[in-house]
Amino acid sequence: MATIKSITKFAPSRFARLKDRVAAFFLMLYRVYAFILRFFKEVFLPPYEFKEVVRQCYEVGVRSFTLISLTGFIVGVIFTKQSRPSLTDFGATSWLPSLVSIAIMKALAPLVTALIAAGKVGSSIGAELGSMRVTEQIDAMEVSGTKPFKFLVCTRVIATTITIPLLATYTAFIALLGGYLNVSQNEGTSYSTFMEQAFEPLTFVDFWASLSKAIVFGFTIGIVGCYQGYNSTKGTEGVGKAANGAVVTAMFLVFIEEVLIVQIAGWFR
Amino acid sequence: MDASENRRAITVGIFVLLGVVVFVIGILTLGGQNKSFVKSIHISSIFSDVSGLKKGNNVWFSGVKVGVIKSIRFTGNSQVDVDMSIEASSQQYIHRNAGVRISSDGLIGNKIIVIDGGSPQAPIVQDGDVLQSEKLLSTDDIMKTLQQNNQNLLAITTDFKTLGHQILAGKGTVGALLADSTMAVQLRAAMRNLQMATQSASLMAVQLNRFSNRMNTKGGLADKLLTDTVAFNRIQESVAKLKEAANNATILTNNLNKASNKLNSTDNIMGVLLNDPTGAAKVQSTLNNLQQSSVKLNDDLEAVQHNFLLKGFFKKREKAKQDSLKAKM
Repeated sequence: MATIKSITKFAPSRFARLKDRVAAFFLMLYRVYAFILRFFKEVFLPPYEFKEVVRQCYEVGVRSFTLISLTGFIVGVIFTKQSRPSLTDFGATSWLPSLVSIAIMKALAPLVTALIAAGKVGSSIGAELGSMRVTEQIDAMEVSGTKPFKFLVCTRVIATTITIPLLATYTAFIALLGGYLNVSQNEGTSYSTFMEQAFEPLTFVDFWASLSKAIVFGFTIGIVGCYQGYNSTKGTEGVGKAANGAVVTAMFLVFIEEVLIVQIAGWFR
Repeated sequence: MDASENRRAITVGIFVLLGVVVFVIGILTLGGQNKSFVKSIHISSIFSDVSGLKKGNNVWFSGVKVGVIKSIRFTGNSQVDVDMSIEASSQQYIHRNAGVRISSDGLIGNKIIVIDGGSPQAPIVQDGDVLQSEKLLSTDDIMKTLQQNNQNLLAITTDFKTLGHQILAGKGTVGALLADSTMAVQLRAAMRNLQMATQSASLMAVQLNRFSNRMNTKGGLADKLLTDTVAFNRIQESVAKLKEAANNATILTNNLNKASNKLNSTDNIMGVLLNDPTGAAKVQSTLNNLQQSSVKLNDDLEAVQHNFLLKGFFKKREKAKQDSLKAKM
């Protein structure tokens, strides 16, 4: 009969476990780095999968348009509605258009779009590629001479990088429209006055910062979803994990990138 | 490519195109707001303190946005050079002697540059010109003035407090008025007198009114004076006569004046008599001679009476005189 001492002798120590985790983390970082590098290497090399890119743009962009537009409209209305009491206290409701536009154009439009896209598109990509990996379809493609990375990963990442900035643009416009409807209903502000006041506090730096954010968010959502799906393991369980990991990681990275880009944009003001 | 793929491609194309269009409209709107796509000139001004003015803030001229701040940099001895981009269409209205000051877009709004003043005689501002900056009235300055006002207010209220205490204590005229019952009685009496005087004045005004009405009554003296032509002609004649009399009096006065002037001169007998002492002496001497002559003449006449030739004449006249006296008795 084995004693407790003899059992603990063979169990890994706490330090060893920590060491393994750190090693796994850095290995994962290396894999991500290699994955991104591979993307940039293959995306510029022929053959170019235009049809698949268009199909993915349709799946990512057009199919998400309704959801993201509705979300943007609601964000615009709610933000305007919630901001009004604070400004009313100062007798500054005429500043609502400026406040709403600053919030939407500088932060909310790209962020909301990215979060919605991370949930809808990221999980979809992760699950789709994950199931292809566990059912060995990707292996079959490699065997048959088709380049699965170019066909599956590059096209999806390009699609998300293109469509998410466009979706963010739509979101900004529709959210401003929602804000305008609310302001118009309560303050009776005309459309031209609202738009003039909305764009008055904005600068090109804000515009380019938002566009850059949306591009980076799109790339992140695509690359994270593809990475999680492309490298999924452990059968059907791995598919769920890939989808879940795609959403969680993408969302986390989106917030990190938001902070970094706001900081970088601040240097150009 | 089958039909569904075509449809999908078209949909994606429309989606991308619309997105790009919305983005470009946004860029153009923003550019229009920031005057990025309009022809502009650059002018600058140097401030000692810009109070948080930032690149991209607006420039106003006569309350209209005409440009934006392009750059803010230090120059000289810790001064700040503010470079402004002004739209060319507004250039003709801004003159070189216009002043530039830092203001605020509303009470708590963004800082802005305000260009104001400038006379039409001065030349129009050109690209690269430096406009004169005006000193900013900062919040600190406002607070300083406010503090001064507070101190003044405190002094005033303190004075009022002292005054109130003194009044309550019955000091001073007002205090005495409030505290001294005798003075109150006197004041009441004075007020009564004043009221009576007012009533009298009112009555007088009524009477004056009545009098003036009477003056205006038809047939009255004033009315006749104003309307009766016969009376007016008589008055006119009287006035003319008076005027004539006055003229005569003037002539008479002039004559008298001339005569009195002559009396003052020595070229006539009267003037000599009145003014010339030598003449006076001579006249005096003449009079003396006359007196001596008359005495001598009396003596001579006395002697004549005793002359035998004339003695009878005098005796007769004496006798006739006595006879007439007796007859009267």
